[in-house]
Amino acid sequence: MSPEQNPSRPFGRRSFLRASGTVAAAGFLAACAGNTGRGGGASSGKAISQWYHQYGEAGTQQAALRYAKAYSKANVSVQWIPGDYASKLSSGLVSSNGPDVFEFHPDVQMAKSGQIVPLDDIIADVKSDFTEKDLAANSVDGKVYGIRMIDDPQFLYYRKSLLEKAGVEPPTTFDELIEASRKLDKGGVKGLYLGLKGGSDILASPLVWATGSELLTADHKVAFDNPETVEGLKKMRELYKSKTLLLGAPTDWFDPSAFTQGLTAMQWCGLWAMPGIQKALGDDFGIVPLPGIGSAGRQVVYNGGWSTYVSAKAKDVDAAKAFVKWLWIEQTKFQEDWCTSYGFHIPPRKSLAAKATKLQSGTAAEAVKLFETKGHYDDPYWTQGMMTISQDMVNNAVVSGKNPESEVAKARTRVEAELKKIA
Amino acid sequence: MATSSTTLVRGRPRTVRERAGSVAVYTVAVAAALLFLVPFYLLIRNSLATDADITGANWKFFPTTLHWENIPELFNDPAVPMARSMWNSLVVGVLGTTGQLLLCSLAGYALARVPYRHANKIFYAVLATLMIPSAVTFVPSFVLVSSLGWVSSLQGLIVPGLFSGFTAFLFRQYFLGFPKELEEAARIDGLGSWGTYWRIVVPNSRGFFSAIAVITFITNWNAFLWPLVIGQDQSSWTVQVALSTFTTAQTINIHELFLAATVSILPLMLVFLFLQRYLVEGVAHTGIKG
Amino acid sequence: MTTTTTGGAPPGATAPPGPTAKARRDRHGVRGSTRTFWLFAGPFLAGLLLFVYVPVGWSFYLSFFQAQNTVTPTKFVGLDNYKDILTEGPFTDSLWTFTLFALIVVPLTYVLALALALLVHRIRVARAFFRSVFFIPTACSYVVASMVWKLSIFNGVRFGLANTVLGWFGIEPVAWIGTVSPPWYWLVLVTLRLWLQLGFYMILFLAALQQIPKELYEAAWTDGARPGWQTFRHITLPQLRTTSVAVVLLMLIAAYQAFDEFYNLLPNTPYARPPLVYLYYTALGQGQDFGHGSAGALVLSALITMVTLLQGRIFGFGKADR
Repeated sequence: MSPEQNPSRPFGRRSFLRASGTVAAAGFLAACAGNTGRGGGASSGKAISQWYHQYGEAGTQQAALRYAKAYSKANVSVQWIPGDYASKLSSGLVSSNGPDVFEFHPDVQMAKSGQIVPLDDIIADVKSDFTEKDLAANSVDGKVYGIRMIDDPQFLYYRKSLLEKAGVEPPTTFDELIEASRKLDKGGVKGLYLGLKGGSDILASPLVWATGSELLTADHKVAFDNPETVEGLKKMRELYKSKTLLLGAPTDWFDPSAFTQGLTAMQWCGLWAMPGIQKALGDDFGIVPLPGIGSAGRQVVYNGGWSTYVSAKAKDVDAAKAFVKWLWIEQTKFQEDWCTSYGFHIPPRKSLAAKATKLQSGTAAEAVKLFETKGHYDDPYWTQGMMTISQDMVNNAVVSGKNPESEVAKARTRVEAELKKIA
Repeated sequence: MATSSTTLVRGRPRTVRERAGSVAVYTVAVAAALLFLVPFYLLIRNSLATDADITGANWKFFPTTLHWENIPELFNDPAVPMARSMWNSLVVGVLGTTGQLLLCSLAGYALARVPYRHANKIFYAVLATLMIPSAVTFVPSFVLVSSLGWVSSLQGLIVPGLFSGFTAFLFRQYFLGFPKELEEAARIDGLGSWGTYWRIVVPNSRGFFSAIAVITFITNWNAFLWPLVIGQDQSSWTVQVALSTFTTAQTINIHELFLAATVSILPLMLVFLFLQRYLVEGVAHTGIKG
Repeated sequence: MTTTTTGGAPPGATAPPGPTAKARRDRHGVRGSTRTFWLFAGPFLAGLLLFVYVPVGWSFYLSFFQAQNTVTPTKFVGLDNYKDILTEGPFTDSLWTFTLFALIVVPLTYVLALALALLVHRIRVARAFFRSVFFIPTACSYVVASMVWKLSIFNGVRFGLANTVLGWFGIEPVAWIGTVSPPWYWLVLVTLRLWLQLGFYMILFLAALQQIPKELYEAAWTDGARPGWQTFRHITLPQLRTTSVAVVLLMLIAAYQAFDEFYNLLPNTPYARPPLVYLYYTALGQGQDFGHGSAGALVLSALITMVTLLQGRIFGFGKADR
């Protein structure tokens, strides 16, 4: 599983039924559309295959299908991929049966090895509508390779009522977080849930940022090999050893079930889960960033998100680009729908963000503010391979209790080998 | 002397100690059997329950009401291509088994019975592939299959698995022991090699063929790594890939997942019930000769 | 089976064919026989070449190149890929993980499968029932078993079966696969494999047990050996030698190829990542590093070959003496 946001939520049986109803309706509408001649373009013979990872929120798959159907210049087939999306995608891109258009995270390796094509021409007109940081996250050697679809900040959710009962304030330092987790762990409710791997996967990057350090320097050299990172690993180890973390829940961190079912008092999750949490808990929840660690520490929110790319192996690269331009640049109604109708995502377009009323009040507005003030983006030079390395580092030091200094040193060597490959 | 005491031992009445021993044997056997059945119990229990039953604070031995409506729910769920993946598994199982049996038995027969100058070298070349576990070559195999344009296709799932050196080896060993007299009689009747093979050798080897077929079918049905690598498009998932995908995706309810798992093992349970004799024979063959 | 030869001697050459066959052969000559050979074995051999030998060769080629995100690389790096993966790191860790796994799983499977076989062998009433119960898990896939183990038996929360049972004794829920101290995940991985495999090996032992001549036991009793440990030690075990060697070899190779349960229970977790899982993530998963992936695959093949040959050297292959 890629360490980034993986918006997934539990499906209830009812949502399944609802979903199947929607599919039937969509099929019916599509059939009508075909009859009125709008589907004529689809018979022009151009076929585009578009891949999504599985979003957990009910209705998302149907929405993706609806957008694809509405495109008249080619026949767009949507692949909805649950499970290990990153692996499926990587092998798809090497084969000749991969996607033409797909969503993923910025990764310099795909650009350098020519797996994806630059999209400067289609984004040119609206470039100023995207934030600098979104553009930078998708740029390699001055070219824009991906168009941001959604921004997904991740932070800590906490149950207000449980914190009050335990006499705990929302934690602002890492020591407070450990203390809070200790005090909240009682009566069958664990203190904190950081996912199946105890946070060693999803918090690998945020942990380094929280110590005030960076993963890579601006000129793509290792920046995390320092005493701060070691300190961060030690603190995480302390948290893990407190035995107050929830481990082995049936769902992972990206799914709020453990939190909403009362298995844990606090959980790391993303903005996408907020509508579901609101529905389950009303306003009995709040959010805080990951607290800072050490004297240079800073609070951190992880700005994940998804961008759309065009494969260099697309059957017709221009047709694929035209579709991307149509859906993710021109169709602002669809973009709005995608961002706020199911789970919550922040629209990367400034003009759309300004209109997203659902995100302008309450805890959602707080999340947007955290995203803007404490948010950290992925560096496109921090590749999938390096993510695995840093996750190994955190897992070895935190879960297995190996020496943090030597783990950091080992990770440095391995990351440098990876960097050499893309130099 | 020896013979008489042997009969004595055989015929002696059972002692108390032995009877106690046999009580112990049955106690152990029943306990072990119960342990072995626990996973099946959980599969059935969770399949017909609601998630509330499963995740509740107190363990429910069995759901108070059986939720048979879970079954149509599973097959109607657009997010779980259950029927499609079952069909794919069936096609892969049947075609893969038929193809493998055909190719490997012919090759095994040739290696065992047809005189050829280089047969020895070829046999060693086949034997050598047993040393390379197929799972280790999955990286280049994937590349090869993808360059043939077979990713996400049935032929991609089936064809690379047809050429099993191990199965060919088993057939060779078997045919080495096949009575020569039968073949010779066929030749006297004017049958050529091909005719002898199909009219005499195969019909007289039904038991062995069935044993290998059952084993191969089960292996194909349960295969995971290769279908995972090849089945990228949802329409080409086998049932194992579909199940795995949903356990790692964690977005469907537990009862649905367990029902899907139960459904996925049903065909093999049937195979087991009806063909156990061949299966036992097959395992004994493949194991000892492997 | 009554196989007598095991070497590669072409059997046609061993036994002189009858007069009629000889006459036919004379008529068609060696060419006819050659044609027959290729007619029968040709399709299989062609497939074997294409789907086994070509990939292995390609893998060999890739292992000397920097093949990042591509399978038609241009940058030759010599033995660097081998050097990288063999220096201490995740690949060598994965080999240790495997070694530990094999050290636990192989002896346990051996002892328990043999025990089950002896048990079923001794049972007179309902023997078929017990045999079926122990054998039937063989029909389940690792995927299904992993699911049951992960979500229903060994999940880390209160409604898992294991934690429910512990709860009856007032013991706090255990996080089974999410913790390395103590390393409960081994219990999860090992019990899963035992459940799936024991029946298979039990059948092998049962078949072998049935072939031990009764006279051997009778002779031993005559000599004063008591039924039980002594006869087991001096008759049963030696008689099972051939099967034992085959079983251990099969179990070792199966352990080397462990993938399914690790992938489904502990995806890409450094403390439980056997070689094949590592290779999957390196080459086909997110890594797309075919150079290192291929090098690792070849190292693994070499290791398996070595172990097999070594075992054959020490114990024989378990066939020659049949």
